[in-house]
Amino acid sequence: MAHPIQIRDQSFKMHFSGTLFWEERSMLLVSDVHLGKVSHFRKYGAAVPQAAVQKNFDMMDESIAYFKPKTLIFMGDLFHSSLNREWEIFENWVQEKTLDIILVSGNHDILSPLKYKAIGINVVEEMVLGSFLLTHHPMERDGLFNFSGHIHPAIKLSGLGRQTVKLPCFYKTEHQMILPAFGEFTGTFTLEPCNGCEVYALLGDAVLPVPIKEVKKKRRRSK
Amino acid sequence: MNREELFNIAQEWFQEQHWKPFKFQKDTWKAFLQGKNGLLNAPTGSGKTYALWFPIVLNYMKQNPEYRTKHKKGLKAVWITPLRALSQEIKQSAERVTADLGTQMTVGIRSGDTSTKERARQKKQMPDLLITTPESLQLLLATKGYDKIFKDCSAIVVDEWHEILGTKRGVQMELALSRLKGISKELRIWGISATIGNLEQAREVLLGPGTNAFDNSILIKANINKKITVKSIIPKKMETFPWRGHLGLHLLEDVVPIINHSTTTLLFTNTRSQCEIWFQKILEKHPEYAGEMAMHHGSINKETRVWVENAIRNEDLKAVVCTSSLDLGVDFAPVETVVQIGGPKGVARFLQRAGRSGHRPGKESVIYFLPTHAIELIEASALQKAVKLNSVEDRLPYLNSYDVLLQYLTTLAISNGFYPKEIYREIKETFCFQAITEEKWQWLLNFLVMGSQSLQSYDEYKKVEVEEDGKFTVTNKGVAMRHRFQIGTIVGDANLAVKYQKGGYIGSVEEFFISKLNRGDVFTFAGRNLEFIRIKDMTVQVRNSNKKTNKITSWMGSRLTLSAQMSELLREELYSSSEPKEKQSKEIRALAPLFERQRRESIVPRPNEFLIESFKTREGYTHIFYPFEGRFVHEAMGSLLGYRISLLTPITFSLAFNDYGFELLSDQPIDIQQVLDNDLFSTDYMLDDLQKSLNATEMARRKFRDVAIISGMVFTGYPKKNIKMKHLQSNSQLLFDVFRDYEPENLLYQQAFTETFEHQLEEGRLRLSLERIATQNIIWKQCDKATPFSFPLITERMNREKLSSEKLEDRIKKMAALLMKK
Repeated sequence: MAHPIQIRDQSFKMHFSGTLFWEERSMLLVSDVHLGKVSHFRKYGAAVPQAAVQKNFDMMDESIAYFKPKTLIFMGDLFHSSLNREWEIFENWVQEKTLDIILVSGNHDILSPLKYKAIGINVVEEMVLGSFLLTHHPMERDGLFNFSGHIHPAIKLSGLGRQTVKLPCFYKTEHQMILPAFGEFTGTFTLEPCNGCEVYALLGDAVLPVPIKEVKKKRRRSK
Repeated sequence: MNREELFNIAQEWFQEQHWKPFKFQKDTWKAFLQGKNGLLNAPTGSGKTYALWFPIVLNYMKQNPEYRTKHKKGLKAVWITPLRALSQEIKQSAERVTADLGTQMTVGIRSGDTSTKERARQKKQMPDLLITTPESLQLLLATKGYDKIFKDCSAIVVDEWHEILGTKRGVQMELALSRLKGISKELRIWGISATIGNLEQAREVLLGPGTNAFDNSILIKANINKKITVKSIIPKKMETFPWRGHLGLHLLEDVVPIINHSTTTLLFTNTRSQCEIWFQKILEKHPEYAGEMAMHHGSINKETRVWVENAIRNEDLKAVVCTSSLDLGVDFAPVETVVQIGGPKGVARFLQRAGRSGHRPGKESVIYFLPTHAIELIEASALQKAVKLNSVEDRLPYLNSYDVLLQYLTTLAISNGFYPKEIYREIKETFCFQAITEEKWQWLLNFLVMGSQSLQSYDEYKKVEVEEDGKFTVTNKGVAMRHRFQIGTIVGDANLAVKYQKGGYIGSVEEFFISKLNRGDVFTFAGRNLEFIRIKDMTVQVRNSNKKTNKITSWMGSRLTLSAQMSELLREELYSSSEPKEKQSKEIRALAPLFERQRRESIVPRPNEFLIESFKTREGYTHIFYPFEGRFVHEAMGSLLGYRISLLTPITFSLAFNDYGFELLSDQPIDIQQVLDNDLFSTDYMLDDLQKSLNATEMARRKFRDVAIISGMVFTGYPKKNIKMKHLQSNSQLLFDVFRDYEPENLLYQQAFTETFEHQLEEGRLRLSLERIATQNIIWKQCDKATPFSFPLITERMNREKLSSEKLEDRIKKMAALLMKK
């Protein structure tokens, strides 16, 4: 279900749904949910199945039930577009929750912060918690470890017999971890592995550390 | 005027030109004037335009006896051409007829190239004769009051119907015709087609099965026999024949004397990148051709293409390297010789290309075939036979293309609106939708109005609305505007314009190619070396460069497959290698060293044998199967077999295929004996197994892209405008996944699978070839190394598909992310 990881003496758990739980602070980090995207498309005449809307909420509920966090932090791109009726569903969902909710705003978050405030959600540009920095876009800042989203990272795995598979992932470098996109109907961007980075792939019901193998160049089949 | 008098007018005109009308021309005039519909089977350059322009004009003269002094305005006839590049020439021939016969009729063109001003003028007053494309015709149907425009239209001529027939543009045409039949009572529908295997069916598709229009129709054949000579270019030394590259460049010097010996030579290549490479290499080795040689393919800008076409006509060029972009239309009299580089994969296409030379009635056509690898010589030998037998392929029409129907219904909704009852009756008479049920029809209407099958809470879906009297309309201006931009059924990859930084359009390339380039990289495109500067507003900015480069623009475009006819001939030629030498063609004889080596390592199959080879390489365990049925059937058979093997044991394959066979590559060996013992080539449960093979899903995913765009679910953005529509542009792959998870019963999602089975996997042919294999002895050879037959296949790096029955977790345990060492 979840995979533990220690970062700077703090304990975290990566969930297969793409959320990250911070144990010491009882915080759940969720990035790039893109609520409202399905409804936005439908409003403009593209018939994306409406049933996909509910899935985001069900998955968030599952993750919350599993970790029971005190605080929920959206790492940006919470609402995909301008206002549509999916907001009402979100409003109802928030009303039922007892935990604190904070939004670290991203490039898609164009709704007025007042809308969020009205339902008890604080909107901030970034958060500094101890030696950790939470932002939507990946950042580098002296002495701080950065959690971010925005990229929708995925990794390509290769094996013998020309096998490949692409999976969404948590992508960690020395001072940074990029969270996978949580939302349905959002897509991914494939990242190359780098020296000293750690990659954790989402398998659908598990999180798996990805072995990284150094190769000289693309293998060519010999004659 | 009676018919005889009208005929005399036409005959006189021909005499003035010192021509004599062909029988097929006179037959067509007669049938048209009798009010008949029909299909005219005539090749390009045979005078087919006069076969139909004449009766159209004569009919006008008949109905308006004072045609010399009085001009009755309004649209009389529409001429549909699949290539707008051809419209100018069609216009000229029409104008000749209208002017010489003393009418005051006007001729106009309406296509993507027509200016907004001209279009507005036409809207006010249509020309008498209009030349347009299938897409522009749909756009006319998207105009308010289109019924008034077509009210007095007497004829619709669909030119090059064989090109349109087997595509979704054909469906688009069927739908437009079904509407126009209802509007203009005097309408005659005519198609013009080159020779294809299913001409009778082509007529049925054009006119609608069982309709009055079909009953009142005729098939006229021009029967112009043209002598075609095929000459293979056989490499002098077979041992030095390269196994890789597949471009045929090693035979470049053999082409030079051919070019030198004729006025103009066309060199046909199968892909645009091959075209670029050949052009560059010839110039590199023979700079003396500079200025006398040109290149022509679909991604080069229009001005250059038109210039090349004119230069061919004026005999200014010695040679032109081209792709299928020069397959159609336009009369190029000076072309004396044609060279086909690489297998043309189909007889009809080869004949059409051969027909580009000696483009005058009665003249002999000469075509050279240049093989790009050894086994293609077998293809060359098969082609010789095919030309002799004139065994031409069928063009398979589409059935139940719901995406095109949804687009069409939206088109009607944004112009006049439509009543479902009336339109249902009309589309039911088309070939494509003859089997549609009331239930499916209702599904489509629900989809248009609600975006689903029932009203849902919190939903704001908006597209088509229903008025109180039951009329379906679009009131939202945004919906209407986006739809107009989206009309069409040809879906390309995301294209970027290539321009000089200082301006000047060079052509277009696909996003996937440019995304691999970095600033400062030099690449070859349109015969120039260009330095990549940046991408800005969907434009690739470049400057000229003197640097040498090996980066040549490539396109993803789908590859052609061997037709059933060609495959059969190919197998016969292959079998002939075991016959005595006298019975062999010279191509097969030239291949003797290759067959010898193949026999040493493995066998050359005979008619009653089916060959499977296994060997191990650094990459894993390779298993190669040789049905010789064309790449599409091989893709299907490979997936089917892979799936069935994976039921026996958890295993993962990558699948590669070409026109001769397919390869299953795995990290573990397959026991072929087990495959045979379990009868895995059986046709039982074939479709069911195919559906379950992961590969079919991957293929359907690709087909779904077109379906999603055509049906209007994915918006591709405004052409040539920098309006940011990113927030509405979704990835069709993502959409496919959402449908798979939430709405697998959706007709459009289902359609992607149906199209995969019928058009991509060629289910019918697959069944036939499995039945053939069932009658053959299967010979399994365990080889030490790769055999000559296997080389073209295992060196092919394209089209790798995956298939697996292992649990994702188990698969991944054996894998790693690769970090490239700098």
